[in-house]
Amino acid sequence: MIEIIIYGAVSSAIYAMLAVGFTLIFGVARVLNLSHGAFYALGAYFTYTYNGLLGIPLLVAAVLAVATVAALGVAMERVMVRPLRYSALAVLMITLAMSLLIEQVLLLTFGSETQNVQSLVSDKVTMFGVDIGGQRLLALGVGVVLISGLWLFIQRTRLGNAILAVSQDAEGAQYMGINVNRVFGGVMGMSAALAAAAGVLAAPFSKVEPAMGLLPMTKAFSIVILGGLGSIRGSLLAAAVLGFSETLVGYLVSSSLTELVSLVVILLVLILRPAGLFGKHVAF
Amino acid sequence: MPRPTRWWFLAVVLAVLGTVPYWLDNSYMVGVLILAYLYGVFASSWDFMSGQTGRENFGHALFVGGGAYTAAFLNVKYGMSPWWSLPAGGVVAVVLGLVIGLPTLRLRGPYFALATLAAATILQRLTIILWEQTGGEEGISDLMPLVSSPVAFYYLALGFVLVAAAVLVLLARSPWGLLLRSIRGDEAAAQAAGVNITLHKIGALLVSAFFAGMGGAFYAHYQLQVGPTMFSITVSITVVIMSYVGGIGSVYGAVGGAFVLTLMAEALRKVGEFRLLFYTLVLIAILFFLPRGLIAPLWRRLRNGGSAP
Repeated sequence: MIEIIIYGAVSSAIYAMLAVGFTLIFGVARVLNLSHGAFYALGAYFTYTYNGLLGIPLLVAAVLAVATVAALGVAMERVMVRPLRYSALAVLMITLAMSLLIEQVLLLTFGSETQNVQSLVSDKVTMFGVDIGGQRLLALGVGVVLISGLWLFIQRTRLGNAILAVSQDAEGAQYMGINVNRVFGGVMGMSAALAAAAGVLAAPFSKVEPAMGLLPMTKAFSIVILGGLGSIRGSLLAAAVLGFSETLVGYLVSSSLTELVSLVVILLVLILRPAGLFGKHVAF
Repeated sequence: MPRPTRWWFLAVVLAVLGTVPYWLDNSYMVGVLILAYLYGVFASSWDFMSGQTGRENFGHALFVGGGAYTAAFLNVKYGMSPWWSLPAGGVVAVVLGLVIGLPTLRLRGPYFALATLAAATILQRLTIILWEQTGGEEGISDLMPLVSSPVAFYYLALGFVLVAAAVLVLLARSPWGLLLRSIRGDEAAAQAAGVNITLHKIGALLVSAFFAGMGGAFYAHYQLQVGPTMFSITVSITVVIMSYVGGIGSVYGAVGGAFVLTLMAEALRKVGEFRLLFYTLVLIAILFFLPRGLIAPLWRRLRNGGSAP
């Protein structure tokens, strides 16, 4: 029972980090970023490169990896996405192309075998009579801190309010003197950083391979659909729903069926309540 | 004033392709052409739905793989004749299309794109998880070939792509195709004009799924084995890229795109592992420099005798 709660909370935290970034860039810039999973993979791979190959201390390597991916996100928005903004279809295609490009570059650089990323915390912690890997608890803790930080940033700071304004009405925000393009770039950076952080934290207890981001990204899809596209609150709740129901299904039914949960969630939500839990209306 | 269509150009292309087994004494290259034709079926069926209605299907492999696994089940497990696989694969793909299309296509927004991508990814995982039925990573092998001689197979594949493309092009040019393109142009306006857009989008998806499922079954009986990669995002995306190279919405362009890309990737075979990278770079170049694609605009220009379309 305790195990279900803790493991469920850990996967919820990882999913939440992925889904919040995904829904943020969609809500603000109306960009459906299909390279989100690639950012997740890049976080793990940069940590591996900095720490495993260059010998930088693990904590520094992890932070550097997140920063690198954030910079990549900003650059991608500026160079690849912005010129194609005239067409939603072209934007969708270019983010897909970038995700494939990243995956292929990872494949050619590191090969298809799985890499080992060290745990930041290698001890086991015994809580309520259950052994939990320290890295999982760290993932949970960092996830909570990062997402609360993002929430405070958006609600309490001027820049955060600018982001909110753009998400409500980009044109109106521009009339108020907000540099919309810079907001887009910044949000892309934050969203990429969150995905990379999820990748860094999950890397020690998941398979680090070039295509590792695809399945978590499909989970993020189902979360944002359940939560309502563009709603951060909704994504948080939905991440918890998916994280816990996957863990429950894994424990009670069969671990092989966990993958089906997200697909069932997508189909059910779209049939019963397409706007999601917190979406005001169906997106677009 | 449009000049007369230059049908002789099409006739030359068909004559060249129709005589390949007689002058190309290279069974390997004939095999590559067969693959190009099958991808032509996949790409043109993708373009029929996504190109006409503007709804991007990122999980076409769902239908291809569904058709292929149906063929494998019927043929290997139940010992049915390979010829049953083609219609059965198409029907299974139609059912999959209904499951994905009914909930997502009545909505606006990116739900259809997300759901198709997710469904194909998850089915690929399921083929590995349910390995007792599906053979896991190894897949199912020892399918029977549709016909035994390679030359006959070549003509069968050529005939298949020609018939599929002809049906899809005719449908796209029919009043129904016009109606579908009106959805792409302005969904709200089409709806206001009394078009039941959901019904027609789902109809287009089912036609697309049917051909892709048949193509998948055909592919299975050509490769003589199926595996989880049939559901992979690589297949889905390759098909999308071929349609983009062909020129979205033209349907026949997708066949040309499949042909050109397969042959180009084959020419770069020495760098085989770079194939998807190459496709991706082609896609990025097309998005930035040739948003209308390559094949369809070129074809119109040739057909109309040099004047721009």
